[in-house]
Amino acid sequence: MKAEPLVLERTLNAPVASVWDALTNNAKMKKWYFDIADFKPEIGFEFQFYGSKDDTRYLHLCKITELIPEKRLTYTWKYENFPGESAVTFELFEEGAQTRLKLTHAGLESFTTDNPDFAPSSFNAGWTFIIGTSLKDFVEGKHTN
Amino acid sequence: MRNRTVTLKLVTEWFHIKQSKLRRDVFQAIADPTRREIIGLISQQSLNLNALADHFEISRPAVSKHIKILMECGLLAIRQDGRERYCEPRLQKIQEVAAWAEKYREFWSQKLDALANFLDSENQPK
Repeated sequence: MKAEPLVLERTLNAPVASVWDALTNNAKMKKWYFDIADFKPEIGFEFQFYGSKDDTRYLHLCKITELIPEKRLTYTWKYENFPGESAVTFELFEEGAQTRLKLTHAGLESFTTDNPDFAPSSFNAGWTFIIGTSLKDFVEGKHTN
Repeated sequence: MRNRTVTLKLVTEWFHIKQSKLRRDVFQAIADPTRREIIGLISQQSLNLNALADHFEISRPAVSKHIKILMECGLLAIRQDGRERYCEPRLQKIQEVAAWAEKYREFWSQKLDALANFLDSENQPK
């Protein structure tokens, strides 16, 4: 059983080329994303950034694993000195003058699996239970003790 | 800019919460299918130990072991009512985990808002 990834979709009021540029051009990334010292849109390129200027505890480590210009960008996403590795994928779909962006963050559950006693398969089932709709209904229901 | 600071603080906070509290308890509690089923059953109604054990084919001691783990993880409490002992859900911790997953959703949501705003500002004639 595979854990469910986090998926978000957004329709952006800009053509695919502009969105792709915002995702891969470092000067533009700084305006909305993170302040990354060096970023090159190339498979295998590694980059890193801190979560915040106020808090330098979590260094994010990323490596580009998939790159199809104006269509798809994937990089790994993990934290220095913490176990686990996830992957963030941006997919772009042209919709006339607009662009639908689909963001998938997979493997978030791996950040909690450093305990060797965990069987990954049952752990993933637990994760899916947590973020699945049945649990969402369940915790948003009347049981709040 | 303020939004961004708030977002990053949230990310930091959940990471801290996860490190300090969640690992090895709630996740472990629900990593097992029998325990998930127990939670599902008692979330519908409180059940006494016998009624709960009758739902499973595994032995009563095996069910008891799972109940004990759920108690240790803080997801279940036993209430004594006369001669009966009832299992009741304590779901606060599961909510915390759901909140942890939700922080990532919030984080990306705010990032995508920032992207949308940036693209709009690019379109404005200077």
